[in-house]
Amino acid sequence: MFKRLPTRYLLLIFILSAIVLLGWWFFYDPVKNFTVSIPGMDNRKKGAMAPGKPVIIGSEFKFYRASPDFPGTRWTNFRGPDFDNISKEPVRLIEKWGKSGPVILWKKSLGEGHAAPAVYDGKVYLLDYDETGKSDQLRCFLLSTGEELWRRGYKVHLKRNHGLSRTVPSVNAKFVLTIGPKCQVMCVNRVNGDFLWGLDLVREYGTEIPFWYTGQCPLLDNDTAIIAPGGKALLVAIDCNTGKKLWETPNPKTWKMSHSSVMPMTLDGKKMYVYFAIGGICGISASGGDKGKVLWETSEFAPSVIAPSPVILNDGKIFVTAGYGAGSALLQVTAKDGKYNIKVLQKYKPQEGLASEQQSPVFLNSYIYGIQPKDAGSLRNQFVCYKADDCKKDLMSSGKTNRFGLGPYIVADGKFFILNDDGEMTIARVTPSRFTVLDKTRIIDGQDSWGPIAITGGFLLMRDSKQMVCIDIKAH
Amino acid sequence: MEEPENSSKINRRKFLSTGVRASVLIGIGGVAALVAKKAITGQTVWQLDPAKCIQCGRCATNCVLTPSAVKCVHVYAMCGYCDLCGGYFKPETKTLTTAAENQLCPTNAIKRKFIEDPFFEYTIDEPLCIGCGKCVKGCGSFGNGSLQLQVRHNICVNCNQCSIARNCPADAFSRVPLSQPYLLKQIAEEKKSPQSP
Repeated sequence: MFKRLPTRYLLLIFILSAIVLLGWWFFYDPVKNFTVSIPGMDNRKKGAMAPGKPVIIGSEFKFYRASPDFPGTRWTNFRGPDFDNISKEPVRLIEKWGKSGPVILWKKSLGEGHAAPAVYDGKVYLLDYDETGKSDQLRCFLLSTGEELWRRGYKVHLKRNHGLSRTVPSVNAKFVLTIGPKCQVMCVNRVNGDFLWGLDLVREYGTEIPFWYTGQCPLLDNDTAIIAPGGKALLVAIDCNTGKKLWETPNPKTWKMSHSSVMPMTLDGKKMYVYFAIGGICGISASGGDKGKVLWETSEFAPSVIAPSPVILNDGKIFVTAGYGAGSALLQVTAKDGKYNIKVLQKYKPQEGLASEQQSPVFLNSYIYGIQPKDAGSLRNQFVCYKADDCKKDLMSSGKTNRFGLGPYIVADGKFFILNDDGEMTIARVTPSRFTVLDKTRIIDGQDSWGPIAITGGFLLMRDSKQMVCIDIKAH
Repeated sequence: MEEPENSSKINRRKFLSTGVRASVLIGIGGVAALVAKKAITGQTVWQLDPAKCIQCGRCATNCVLTPSAVKCVHVYAMCGYCDLCGGYFKPETKTLTTAAENQLCPTNAIKRKFIEDPFFEYTIDEPLCIGCGKCVKGCGSFGNGSLQLQVRHNICVNCNQCSIARNCPADAFSRVPLSQPYLLKQIAEEKKSPQSP
């Protein structure tokens, strides 16, 4: 009897242990210390991004002196008169900076940002931000001397957010049209700066101000202002003479405003406005009896952040690209019996083909030129060329020794003028098979030189984050 | 008759006495030299150069410690405090919320906090960080590059042969003086004054 006792005890201990273990296994919660990541853990307050006090657009004005126009120099809007970033003026420009370096005619201190100038008949128009006075200021300078003639503005409180200002005005003989960092649209008399009308897109259309403030440059189509607010309307047209709304495109899909600008396009004689919104890309009628009607749209390529504008190619093709890993798409718009169709020909990530994070590529002689973004693999930051019907096959790159940043590039007199982030300007002769550096030099010792370049009449206007310079680039 | 004293002759006592003194002096001199050398050259520790780092992910897997002694460090002076942070959010995230599916960090080691319109602050929860470098890659590609990988010396056991350094494809690891143990990229204005995380 006693001999069997240890076995029984052992068995009992084993069974009890098994029960305890089973209980532990059943009740143990291995993830009890885990934190669930759900929306709202960043303490973002509801309504934190709501508009503040009403802005009295155009309320400030300073007049310094009157000056006549000097016809012959025009860079009227973002990407120039033809929206292609190519200067077609027959002015011979330098190929080398010369022994004494660039001829800087004048230099202006600006509020921090990337806003760039437009030029009309010898006058430079720039929507600057006055950091001391806390106001958007449309400033008018003489192109030849940099002398300030007048400034028109309005109080609006901004905080530094990768710069403050970042748009290019649109200008014609009568008007200057601007969009400020917080979506205030202002139209003034080009000659004397008289205020004509203003529009607060956040208040009127419920526009959501894009990250890092507004990047959309306004479009002047003769006497009509074309603005893409997002919110209640996808696109609006306003008569610049009266400030009254001409037409409005509804926005049932609630697409949002991007940093991209509206680009005009003509297909089979039909004029349309192409807009790349947060949500999709669309073509909106700009002529005939159906002005403001959506002719075609697609959401097949819909990045969450968009800075470059659509590049209008030949035969209804459009190239669209965006940064932050989104990549690019090549689109084909076709027209048949008054109906329009959109097809995505190519869609890819930045490692697979032409892409851009910030600047809009240049379409020149059936080829597209651009600078690859940082996430483009081995071609990162290189200047590249692609054929317009195949944006995945690179034809040429500038090589590992010629890398660039997020700065702008422009074509004039058959040459590319390419600005690096830190104010170094390269003059290059570029063909689909070769990238030849003609010369390069540091123009200004600054940073974030991302504002678009303007070239007209042999003058080159460029900026870094805090100053703008005018350089004489005429070949003498 | 006394023998004349020969001062030039060294007796045993004098020889031993001089020898002991010389030995003590040599010993003291040697110790002083060693101390001086140490003071001049100092100890060294392993560190990785963020300018060379390619964020390959090997820091997370090759360290002898688990989790790795390499951590993400935030250089606040370089940060833009953006709502859309390339180091926090996965590319193409549609809604900028703290939902797990939006986050790039596999271990939720980056905390995001609303400061004021439109700024957000990002802090690293180091015990959760595994040093994979995904956030560093995102920040470098789309932002200012304020997130950087560094060997944390309160964790690193300072192996003679660093296991990560042996496997680093970018040759980013080197020994640095203990007096300057961190190699952080900084904005131009900050370069003059070295910064510790």
